[in-house]
Amino acid sequence: MRVAVTGTPGTGKTTATELVETDLEVVHLNDVIREEELDEGTDEERNSLFADFDAIRDWLAEREAESENGLLIDSHLAHHFDADRVVVLRCHPEQLEKRLVERGETEAKAEENAESEALDVILSEAVAEHGTESAYEIDTTDRTPENVSTDIEAVIRGERAPSAGTVDYLDYL
Amino acid sequence: MSDNDEKWGIAHVHASFNNTIITITDLTGAETIAKSSGGTVVKQNRDESSPYAAMQMAETVADEVKAAGIDGLHVRVRGPGGNLQQNPGPGAQATIRALARAGIEIGRIEDVTPIPHDGTRAPKGSGF
Ligand SMILES: Nc1ncnc2c1ncn2[C@@H]1O[C@H](COP(=O)(O)OP(=O)(O)O)[C@@H](O)[C@H]1O
Ligand SMILES: [Mg+2]
Repeated sequence: MRVAVTGTPGTGKTTATELVETDLEVVHLNDVIREEELDEGTDEERNSLFADFDAIRDWLAEREAESENGLLIDSHLAHHFDADRVVVLRCHPEQLEKRLVERGETEAKAEENAESEALDVILSEAVAEHGTESAYEIDTTDRTPENVSTDIEAVIRGERAPSAGTVDYLDYL
Repeated sequence: MSDNDEKWGIAHVHASFNNTIITITDLTGAETIAKSSGGTVVKQNRDESSPYAAMQMAETVADEVKAAGIDGLHVRVRGPGGNLQQNPGPGAQATIRALARAGIEIGRIEDVTPIPHDGTRAPKGSGF
């Protein structure tokens, strides 16, 4: 089985997936892209690597074949790849911006990600690629990472109903 | 594009998963001329009702725009619901069509959707 955990940077994917108790192998895809050079150049303005989706697809297939039970993929790009279920973490943009600045990111990076979150960019992509029946939106605003990881575990066990469009953050704009 | 005696403004369209907001400003973006944020749609019918909601909003806004003596609008679309090439989404295309139908000249249309990034990002042209 393959479960994607996506969401705008700052929604808490890495923190939560590190706490999840599961038989799936946890893959922090952003680290993999950097370490395995699965990129096709750099967006200088954003200091970010353009991900090479074909190379990532191959890498994930290989990693999954080696795994016993499948993968839990942590990345804001995870929804661009095959998955049985797609968890979309959400966070109110104001709180998300604060989290990113506290994590040491630049104001520009925090702001563009906060605006992406306000406009549901990743949720919309996830639904467009996987449909509402495979999307599991989880609001992390004012919630602990432990709480969020418990919700992700419920998705993995098949105990949570799909959901999308349950939050509206446009007031941030 | 714009004659000297024509007055132009900017329509900022924010189009999210199930909501659309339209704000009309002057060319500097400093002065707000009209704003409509009633584009929330009933979730169950978002495919049907949301272009309709955006269209109604645009018609209301168009009246205020004309009352302010503005002849034409450049359009800046932000958000996946507003993608102009592939996915009509809830609001943007309907908004632009309604503004044009109300007799407002449409100038440059720009997609300025923000890009989630965290040391990595999707390649250009992926997703929306
Ligand atoms: N539920 C939460 N509540 C408050 N802060 C959080 C929460 N989850 C994560 N954080 C903090 O927010 C920042 C971003 O979390 P991180 O897990 O790196 O997000 P992502 O992997 O989605 O970019 C980190 O500094 C982290 O400590
Ligand atoms: Mg992370």
